[in-house]
Order: sequence, then structure tokens, then C-alpha cells
Amino acid sequence: MIKIKDLEKIYRTEEVETIALNKLSMEVKDGEFVAVMGPSGCGKSTLLNILGLLDDPDAGSFIFNGIEVAKFNERKRADLRKHNIGFVFQSFNLIDELTVFENVELPLIYTGVKSSERKKRVDEVLDKVQIMHRRNHYPQQLSGGQQQRVAVARAVVNKPKLILADEPTGNLDSHNGNEVMEMLTDLNEQGTTIVMVTHSEHDARYSHRIIRMLDGQTVLENIMV
Amino acid sequence: MVKNYLLIAIKNFRKQKLFSLINILGLTIGITCCLLLFLFIFNEFSYDKFHKNGKDIYRIMRVGNLNGNRQEIPYVSAAYAPALMNDFPDVIEKAVRVMRDNDLISYNNISFNEKNIYLADSDFFSVFSFNLIRGNPGTVLKDPNSIVVTESTAKKYFGNEDPIGKILQFNKSQQLKVTGIAKDVPVNSHLQFDMVVPLELLKSSRPDWFTNFSLNTLFTYIQLKPNTDPALLEKQFGGFMDKYLGNFFKEIGQKMELIAKPLNKIYFAANAFDSVKHGNKKMVYIFMSIALLILLIACMNFINLSTARAAERSKEVGLRKVLGAVKKQLIGQFILESVLFATLACFLSIGLTELLMPAYTHFLGYDLPSFLGNPWFYVCIAGIITAVGLLAGSYPAILLSSFSPIESLKGVLKVGKKGTSFRKVLVVFQFTVSVILIICVVVIIKQMSYIKNTDLGFNKEQTMIIRFDNYDIASKGHQFKNELLSIPAVQDVSLMSGEPGGFHDSYPFEAEANPAEKYLFNTEFTDMDFVKTLGLKIIAGRDLSDQFGTDSLQAALINRTAAVKLGYTPDQAIGKWIFNTIRDSIKRTIVGVVEDYHFASLKDPINPLVISPGKDNRLALIKIKSADPGPVINNVRKVYSSIAPGYPFEYSFLDERFDQLYRAESRQESVLSIFSIIAIFVACLGLFGLASYTTIKRTKEVGVRKVLGSSVQNIVLLLSKDLLKPVLLGALIAIPIGYYAMNKWLQSFAYRIEFQWWMFALAIGIAITIALLTVGVQAIKAALANPVKSLRTE
Ligand SMILES: Nc1ncnc2c1ncn2[C@@H]1O[C@H](COP(=O)(O)OP(=O)(O)O)[C@@H](O)[C@H]1O
Ligand SMILES: [Mg+2]
Repeated sequence: MIKIKDLEKIYRTEEVETIALNKLSMEVKDGEFVAVMGPSGCGKSTLLNILGLLDDPDAGSFIFNGIEVAKFNERKRADLRKHNIGFVFQSFNLIDELTVFENVELPLIYTGVKSSERKKRVDEVLDKVQIMHRRNHYPQQLSGGQQQRVAVARAVVNKPKLILADEPTGNLDSHNGNEVMEMLTDLNEQGTTIVMVTHSEHDARYSHRIIRMLDGQTVLENIMV
Repeated sequence: MVKNYLLIAIKNFRKQKLFSLINILGLTIGITCCLLLFLFIFNEFSYDKFHKNGKDIYRIMRVGNLNGNRQEIPYVSAAYAPALMNDFPDVIEKAVRVMRDNDLISYNNISFNEKNIYLADSDFFSVFSFNLIRGNPGTVLKDPNSIVVTESTAKKYFGNEDPIGKILQFNKSQQLKVTGIAKDVPVNSHLQFDMVVPLELLKSSRPDWFTNFSLNTLFTYIQLKPNTDPALLEKQFGGFMDKYLGNFFKEIGQKMELIAKPLNKIYFAANAFDSVKHGNKKMVYIFMSIALLILLIACMNFINLSTARAAERSKEVGLRKVLGAVKKQLIGQFILESVLFATLACFLSIGLTELLMPAYTHFLGYDLPSFLGNPWFYVCIAGIITAVGLLAGSYPAILLSSFSPIESLKGVLKVGKKGTSFRKVLVVFQFTVSVILIICVVVIIKQMSYIKNTDLGFNKEQTMIIRFDNYDIASKGHQFKNELLSIPAVQDVSLMSGEPGGFHDSYPFEAEANPAEKYLFNTEFTDMDFVKTLGLKIIAGRDLSDQFGTDSLQAALINRTAAVKLGYTPDQAIGKWIFNTIRDSIKRTIVGVVEDYHFASLKDPINPLVISPGKDNRLALIKIKSADPGPVINNVRKVYSSIAPGYPFEYSFLDERFDQLYRAESRQESVLSIFSIIAIFVACLGLFGLASYTTIKRTKEVGVRKVLGSSVQNIVLLLSKDLLKPVLLGALIAIPIGYYAMNKWLQSFAYRIEFQWWMFALAIGIAITIALLTVGVQAIKAALANPVKSLRTE
């Protein structure tokens, strides 16, 4: 599914130049559940942003589903992204002004799904993440765990092939964290590929494989059994 | 998708109450100004457009030379029309003469002095499309003793009775039968009448009028045959004038041309001295620009506040991008939001416009046609919504949608320097406009007060004007005067051809100074009490007097300017002769020189004036002794009624007469005052929003500073400084522009104030003070807040 080679990302500000990714290569197969670990500032989020087509690399190759996408323009990236990739963030990133239902509905609007179909699919996933009873509430009215479940629902409502999760349990207590990890595992078992950044060895154990990074490079890969 | 955008727009609107209110309020005010102006302008440009033959109708005008200026004169004699029809039968379809008159109309025992009577040719209603409710346009005026009245005039005389066939008395002498009823004349017509009477009616009493080419008393309109080029006709007018007026021109030593003025050019004709309604195109454009500027200021508030808040919406923008939105969609979303604001503001404006309509028409002095039925009104609304939506929405939309999704989500947006300085530029602009308007108002107020307080050179207090607008009073003027003088409270009475501020004829004179030259001087024909009644100052020679039996035919006074024009000092002028080449048959001796006084408006320089005894009494000036004019007026009324029975007694005062000369300017003064208040209010509304926004953003900084020991003043200064700098800059930019504009405006006055530095200082002071109050309130609130609380907001 994902094949990257010699990927480079350099942030330049007036004074300093930060090499966030330094000739990084890796591969993720269809249906895999991969955890990315490493100290703060080693480039995990940068990698995830590039994998999610939110950002473009400065050099290197990125093949997504057999297509070279490193040089895609914004429009093409948005198109590929909205049909294939779901995101889960540490800080949930729900829109405060929208209800639970409307938040989850949003990706379907951008992929042009009809209104009746949208309702059906949103209710389906809300049911699946057991938040149906809160569908008309606003994010501020929910607990952190509930918010993250809404965020997961939003990530999967479009049935993406790939889910990218950046420290999805970082803001949650262990009980809620485990719940989210269970959900991701379920999704993975149903065939969704998952790449997850985490600081928690506990969470990483849910994955098939751990990629360890340091200073913008992969240093080690553990295969879980 | 649109539903989702609307949803979020409405929710944002509710969440950000202050910003939304500021935006809506500002836009509503701006749009209301535009709508009110639109209605006014629409009406102005619709003048005389309702005539079906409009494009073929022209008014014949003479073109003369007045003191070296080309002057178009609409009055021609009644002899022109038949001569034109006779000489150009292939080109001219119809010619209609129209004379505005003022006559006593009676029915049974009610009578009114009707001031809007048109004496017109019988084709009047077939050339012009004034609708008749009753009667046939081609024939209503065929009988010389017929009369057409408007609907409301008919009500006045006949109540609910059927007016057709009723007999009205015309000046107590002729019987006119009502043959038609016209719809009330629409506001947007330069011709305004209450009654139309056939011109033929005068043929028996004034036969000379119809043949004499130099008695110029009426308007003549011609309707050309379809598809005729008026230029070809105008080319032949030279020969026409020579044919009929060649000898006359030789006599007076100057020639006049004739032109055909298109009907739709009459309303906006500049300084036409006819008594029909005119508009001022320049003022229309100026007011329109100001209304648009106010709307622009409101749009800028929207831009400013939206960009200032951009960071708050960055999370939403970032997320939408993550979920697959592209830039175009986001721009669409934000523009939709501003269009939504504009639409809401438009609806509020329509309501507000309805609400303001009575006050507005009262201010204008006439009713505007209902706007809700006017399709152009909706075109205008749609235009405003689109324009405001795009104008106000596009910058924030482009700015917001240009953020990278990752940065947006992190919430560390670098709207930074570029956004801030752009915002400052907008504030500069807003205050430039506001301060320019304030400068204008200050200068206009000062000039108007200068005009009101200038010594006009004559005494205008407690002086009544009674116009001789009917035959009875005009023919017994001297009897009237003598009876008035027997009223104890009446000090002086003088009969004359024109009161100060009123119309003064001009005649060609010859003079001893240079007998070969023709001098065009203004004239005053009056009696021996003129100087006394007005309190003029004689600076050389003596006043006119009955003691000298020859004065009435052989003496004249001139003003100082006339003496200068003739090349004399006042003393030298005494004893020299002067000759009115048209009115008089013998020369007059200059017996006295009066000090210059403003017999015309202060817009014009004082021209040479010749005051001579003469029987051309168009009005009486009555100087009253007592401070309370009430009882005197009653006595004057009694005298008037006994001399001109049946005519309503009407009077005015000389000081009011002078105020009328500046009505256009006083109106400009009020309109600009209102506009400048609105402009500064809307600008400050935006400033208030920005101030409250920045103080919220800097709450933590203020808290830290306070903990570290900063004083309240320091903090207020810190918070205010940033916002006041652009205000000050805007005010400075306004100075040269305001100076330029008002200098131009002042040029229209021959007598005017000088610019003084304090005028600009005052304008800037007003703007800065208001801005300071606006910003300061927010800053003080922040500075006084408990630092512990401010720190907790993190
Ligand atoms: N927008 C940016 N501008 C400049 N430097 C950045 C930016 N984003 C990340 N970095 C730098 O790149 C490096 C990698 O960051 P990141 O991928 O966020 O690390 P991680 O997620 O592993 O903590 C860090 O040193 C960070 O400071
Ligand atoms: Mg990170």
C-alpha cells in the first residue's frame, strides 16, 4: 500500500534549518497495523502528515497504491485523501460548532455522498462506536473518550483503506485509551490498514510491527507475534 | 454542502455575537445609506422619461451673452411658435407654448390664488404624456374657455362632485368650463401644474404678446417629426433669428442664437434661470460616492474583523482540508458566509429604509415613488448583496483558505505581520474618509455662518415682502402704499421691481464716461423711498426725492461698483449722465452713489446696479417699527383685502428670503453632517471590534505585565497605541484631500472664508477623540482586570 524511499523533509525558518526526515525509507503492506515510535521531535508527525498527503516531501519517492504521489498538487492530493485516508488526532479536532452527527457527516459531504445515504452511513458508524445516543450533542458536551470515538467514527465513515492515527490515546486515560485501541484493532481486522504514532509501549503492542525512529530516520523494526 | 456551510455560518454568527452585530450593524447602515440614495438617484434620472414622444420633444432656448458668460435663456416670446411652424413645416410636427401663471380661480364662493397654472396651446396634452382621467388629449383645450384641472385640484374645488362641465372663474373676469381632469403630475416631471388653461384665452387682452418677438414670457416646446436630426434644424435657426429679430439685434447691439434643447436634458441643465424643477447632477454623484464610501467602510469592518478572527477558525479550516476540501471550496464557503451577512443586512436595510421613508421624504420635500414595486430596486439589492459579499468576503476567504492544514490544526497561524498591516491600511482608509467628511462639515458650517453674519449692506430685519401678483394690487400700488403708511407701526414702504436677494433685470446702458460703449448693468425700478426703506448708505450726492420734480424721469442712483465700472470715484460720478437704451427715452443724471450692498446672493460678486424711479412695481417692501409684527400684519392684511378683494393675502419676510438663496447649501450641510456622523460611527464600530479582539488576545500578556508591576496607564497606552496610529495617519492623509475638496466648494462663493489651521485640527481632534474613547474603553477594561483571572485564560 505504502512504499517510501529516501524521503526528505526539511523545515526552514529564518535562523534554523531542521531536517525532520532524513532519507527515510519504509513500506506498509495492505492490511498491516504499524506503530511508529520514537522520542519527541524525531519526525513522526512529519512522516504521518506526508503519508496522509497533507504535506509534500522535499525529496524522495512516495508510492501510494502503486501510484507515485510525491509530486501531486494540492487538488490531486485532496482528491486521493478524501477517498482513501482517515485521520485520528491526539486532540480529536472536532469542529465545536457542529454536532456529533454533523462532524461525522463532514467527510461524506466532501466526497459528494447523497443526503439520505449520508444519514444512513453516519448512523451506522455512530452505532458501531456506541455514541448513537449522543448524535445531537456538541463536542464540548462529551468526555475525551467519547470525543475520540466520534473522531474515529469520522475517520472511518468514508470506509478508507488507510487510517493514520497520531497519538490517538495521548489525551485519554487508560480505560478510554484501551477502548480506542480495541476499535482500531477491530477496524484492522476488517481489512483497514493502520499507521499509528504512539509513545505508549502498551498501545504499540496492539500493532503487528513497530517502526522506531530517531532524528528523522528509522532505526529499528520490531515484528510483533 | 451549502446546507452545511449555512449551518456553520449561523452557528458562528451566534457564537461570535459581538462581531456579528458589528458587522451586521455596519453593513445595514451602509446599505441603508445606499438604498436611500439609490431611490433618490433613480428618481432624479427618471425625470421627464415618461413622455411617449420624449425623444422628439425639444425646448426652444435663446442663447445670449451675460457679462461674457454664455447663458441659455428658456423664455421666448409667443411669436416664435407660429413662426417656427410656418418656416419649418417639414421638420416640426407640433409646437406648444407653455406659460406658468398665477391667477385667481373661484368657484361659487371659494377662491384660491393658483400659482401653478399653465397657459398652454391646445396640443399640450398630445405632445406631453400627462395622463387624462377624463377628456380627450387632442381636444380638451380646443375651446379657449376650457380648463383642465388635476385630480387633487378638482377635489379642492368640487369635493366629490363631478367636475366635468363645472364653471370656474378666471381672475374674476372670465368663465372657464372644466373639460378634463388630469392625473396629478408625477414628481419626476420638470413641468409641474395644477391647472391648464388655453393660451388663446389671453389673445383678447394681450394681443401684442402674440406678435412681438421681444416680449419673452413663455416656454416653447417643439415636437419634431420622427427621425429628424435636430442639428439640421438648429443650423437654420441663425437665418430664422435674423429674419425676425435682425432689426432688434442691431438696436440693442448684441445678437442671440436659438437652440433646441432635448427634453431629457432640461432637468439637469446647470444654472438655468427658469422656474421649473432642476436637479444638480454633480451633487447627485457626490452623494452617491459618499454613500458608497460608507458601505465600503462597513465592508472593511467585515474584512478586518474576519481576518482578525482568522486564527480562531483555523482549526475548522485545517480539518476541512484534511477531510478533502480544496481551496476553491473553502473560498466558496467563506464568501457564502459574507453573502449571508450581506443578505441579512439587506433585509434589515429594506425595513430600515421603510422606517426612514417618512423622515426622508420630509427632508427631500417630495414623495418618492414606492420602491417595493420598482424592479430596479431589486436589481440594486441583488447588486449590493453580490458586491458586498465579494468585497467583504474575498480577502478573508483567500487568507483563511491559504493556510496549510497542518499549521491550521496546530493553531499556530502566522496571520502575522501581513494580516496586521493590511488591517491597519484599512483602518487608515476608514479614518481618511471620515476625517475628510468632518473637514467638509466644519468648513461648510463656518462658511454658512459667515454668510448669515455678513453685513449685507442693507437692513433686512422686520421687513415684509408683499408680491404684486394680481392685477388689482399691481394697478393700485400707490394707493396701497399710502394706506399702509397710515398704519402707525409701519415705518417705510417702497415699491420696486426686485427685492435684495430677488431677481434684478439687466439692461444695456450708454454712459457719459464712454458713449460708444454698451454697459450691461443690473437695474432696480422703484420709488423715492427705496434707500430709506432698505437703510442704504449714500456715499456721494443725494437720495432720490419728490422735492425735485424731475427726478422721476431724469435722475438715477448707481452703486459704488457701477461708478468704478464707469471709471469714476463716487464723487466724480455725480452729475454725469447714463442712458437705459431700452426702457428710457431720455438720459438720466446720476444724482447719488450708494454704498455697495448685496442685492444678489453672496455667491455672486456685487455687480453694477442702477436704481431709478420707474413704474415696474412687482412687490412692496414694508419696514415695520415694532418688534412684534403680529398686529401690523393684520392691519396690512386689511388694507390688502380692501384693495384686492378676493385675492388671498400672502407675505414673507426679507431675512427669510435671503436664507432661501442658500437652501441648496444648507441641504448639503445637513446631508454631509449626517453622512460624516454615520461614517465615523461605522468606522468606530470596526475599531471597537478590533480593540476588543486585540485586548482579548492580549489578556495573558496584560496579566503578566501587571504581575511584573506595570501601571494601568502603561497598559492602556500599550493597547491603544497600536490602534490609534492608523487613525492618526488616516486623519493626516485627509487634510490635503479635504482642503482640495472644500477649496473647490468655496470657489462657488464670491464671498468666502479663508482656510484656517484650526479647522483641520478640529476635524482631526473630533476623530481622534472618538477613536480614543472607542479603543480606550476596551483597553481600560483589560488593564483593570484582575491579573490572576487574565492568566487563567491560558
Ligand atoms: N512547521 C514546522 N516548521 C519548522 N520546524 C518544524 C515544523 N514542524 C516540525 N518541525 C520540526 O521538525 C522536527 C520533527 O517534528 P515532528 O514531526 O512534529 O516530531 P514528532 O511528531 O516526532 O514529535 C522537530 O524538530 C520540529 O521542531
Ligand atoms: Mg508529533
